[in-house]
Amino acid sequence: MYKDERYNNLKASGMLCLCVAGEEEQQAQSKKALKKQQKEAEKAAKKAEKQAKLAAEQQEADEDDFAKDRYGICPMVQSQQKLDRALVRVQDLTPEKAEQQIWVRARIHTSRAKGKQCFLVLRHQQFTVQALLAVGDRASKQMVKFAANLTKESIIDVEAVVKKVEQKIESCSQQDVELHVERIFVISQSEARLPLQLEDAVRPEGEGDEEGRATVNQDTRLDNRVIDLRTTTSQAIFRLQSGVCQLFRDTLINKGFVEIQTPKIISAASEGGANVFTVSYFKTSAYLAQSPQLYKQMCICADFDKVFCVGPVFRAEDSNTHRHLTEFVGLDIEMAFNYHYHEVIDSITDTMVQIFKGLRDRFQTEIQMVNKQYPSEPFKFLEPTLRLEYKEAVAMLKAAGVEMGDEEDLSTPNEKLLGRLVKDKYDTDFYVLDKYPLAVRPFYTMPDPNNPKYSNSYDMFMRGEEILSGAQRVHDAQLLTERAMHHGIDLEKIKAYIDSFRYGAPPHAGGGIGLERVTMLYLGLHNVRQTSMFPRDPKRLTP
Amino acid sequence: MPMYKSPNVHGHGMNCGEHALQNGEVDPSLKALEERQDEVLRRLYELKATVDGFAKTVTTPDADLDASTPSPGPAESVFKGTADLDSLLGKDLGALRDIVINANPARPPLSLLVLHALLCQRYQVLSSVHVHSSVSAVPPPLLSCLGPRHIDSYARQRFQLGFTLIWKDVSELQMKFSTQSMCPIEGEANVARFLFRLLGAEPQDPAAATQMDCWIDKAVFQLSEGGSKDRAAVLRSLNAALGRSPWLLGQEFSLADIVCACFVLRAGQTTSAPVNVQRWLKSCQNLGHFDCVYPFLQ
Repeated sequence: MYKDERYNNLKASGMLCLCVAGEEEQQAQSKKALKKQQKEAEKAAKKAEKQAKLAAEQQEADEDDFAKDRYGICPMVQSQQKLDRALVRVQDLTPEKAEQQIWVRARIHTSRAKGKQCFLVLRHQQFTVQALLAVGDRASKQMVKFAANLTKESIIDVEAVVKKVEQKIESCSQQDVELHVERIFVISQSEARLPLQLEDAVRPEGEGDEEGRATVNQDTRLDNRVIDLRTTTSQAIFRLQSGVCQLFRDTLINKGFVEIQTPKIISAASEGGANVFTVSYFKTSAYLAQSPQLYKQMCICADFDKVFCVGPVFRAEDSNTHRHLTEFVGLDIEMAFNYHYHEVIDSITDTMVQIFKGLRDRFQTEIQMVNKQYPSEPFKFLEPTLRLEYKEAVAMLKAAGVEMGDEEDLSTPNEKLLGRLVKDKYDTDFYVLDKYPLAVRPFYTMPDPNNPKYSNSYDMFMRGEEILSGAQRVHDAQLLTERAMHHGIDLEKIKAYIDSFRYGAPPHAGGGIGLERVTMLYLGLHNVRQTSMFPRDPKRLTP
Repeated sequence: MPMYKSPNVHGHGMNCGEHALQNGEVDPSLKALEERQDEVLRRLYELKATVDGFAKTVTTPDADLDASTPSPGPAESVFKGTADLDSLLGKDLGALRDIVINANPARPPLSLLVLHALLCQRYQVLSSVHVHSSVSAVPPPLLSCLGPRHIDSYARQRFQLGFTLIWKDVSELQMKFSTQSMCPIEGEANVARFLFRLLGAEPQDPAAATQMDCWIDKAVFQLSEGGSKDRAAVLRSLNAALGRSPWLLGQEFSLADIVCACFVLRAGQTTSAPVNVQRWLKSCQNLGHFDCVYPFLQ
């Protein structure tokens, strides 16, 4: 049996040359071949019949289709003509436009035929509107059928009359109007099979399990990011993220900061050898910058006083956690101060508070939209920002039963617990922890003037997770050399860095935050990949 | 040879536990059970000791203060007693002991501002004022109600006490100190009682202490929450009491005076108050501790 099948397949693919076969076998073959031929002939006949029938129907249909000029698939827009036509955005479809005849370009979110009517939901970004096409004197049966068969996500141009509705359409963003379609054309058709369904992608996790409906897992989303980014939740997240960046820039510019750009291809690893990407650089190799640290400081030594930069940061850390990426956007600040590094902490915390206020006051729509799928507590903060000292944190943790040394670094679970304790007492999701022990900080951190075991360094936390690590920097070349030697760092590799402090350097401090992490924590999300458009981690390099 | 055969207790049917007992060893599961029992008993004893301790504290509120000090002397404007911060606030673990007060900006807690001023005379207090994100804006006087920022405020650990006032959208004023071991204290009067204890100036005499509580309750329930009839009644009792002595408890200025004066001032219309009350308010003003309150009166 098996042998015969394989034989038939090979023969059909034309790859077998029949050489020798027993007579019996030959007879069997010819019988089989005959049967096969018969079957094929039947099939062909049926097909021809069907096609003829279809053609006949089509002709009939064409004859009756009075509306055939009012719908169809447009030829690909290759800028054939410059139409002077205004397209109204879905979000602007309000009762004020009632009875107006307008053109709208949107995607087909859903389409449903019901007898002589077709209900479409058109979508543009976060906004949806209901559209109705009914068989009548404007639309033919074929037109309604055409509309009902359009694939989801296709981009269409629709000419319609805006109509007020008596009962609010709860399922759409534009609840007070619907469109009565007169003309409908396809600008860009979507393939019928989508790798993921948008309504599944916005379904909250719990709901999916309860009602037995699907939700989409993270890897599928990331593999088909272009479609996942179309969901209302994604649109809201990235608009809010854009707001974070905008508020960061605006606040600092108003404080007199200058935006700088620092090189990302560098000759020496800035933070420490291990977690750095190497690139081939002509005949040698170079590294991708782990932070703009060294260059920010050089700008201060070059008298720019207050600088900030927004740019990519590369960390070759093989961490597969909810909050690590190998490439992320760093928002970095560096500032010269007069007498005390708290001047810089105050500036940084004020910038963060302005960002939080700006988001609270201007992005409520986006925050609510994200909360629909990912419910969370609203972000709380104090103005001015709460600043606790490391010793207080240790005391709080000890009172809560944690056993730790006074100069031990905070582990991630301890940071989270501390965040909860602070939230309990002060009701804030954002605070600064000042005066970290010197031993756990990088070599360029300025030691505390009164107690050599501590340092002028600080971390800032959002919802119990660290978002910024900063400090007063050592601006004296000799002390810097001593500290580097103490940490066992090769002085040759950082010669250029140390040299920048030899010709008069102001006291300065700074810190940097990650855009994706801040957005994630502000919204109360749980994975940084949700707030990175095309995330990079040890397992993902594309899209 | 026995007359009848008795079942062999050392036979096969015996489980290894019993067998082990014969040998003097202990079955591990039994041992675990005993250990658990010991642990449970130990915890029960600990709990009993803690509850006994609480009972003692509740029935004798001044148990930890020295009852042998003499009765109140001449009227003094500054409290000279001392309080044991460690016993009131818990052991000093080398970090700032921060008292957090959440108050609604619509109803500034005037008596607490007075108490803050008194605390600052006694201890090194780090005072901070914050605005919570639940409130969009707060008038500037409320931001500076605790006075100018201390020049050493960058070094938190140099202070004995922290006083952190947060303007927040709360329905009831609330104080938090050690969230692990203390539940929040609610209500301006109750927080005032707590802060007053830190000054070490509580009346030793139980009758006086009760009278003080009585006046405070009058202020809260009748002056503040009551109608105009209640307010009038309280003003009359105040007038009567102040006709007999300079302060509500007699010769000594106390928390009763602080709370009642603040509530009377906040209710307004002090020019139409009875004579003794007006004299008494003037005396309070002369002490100087009420200066911080006047910017908030209409």
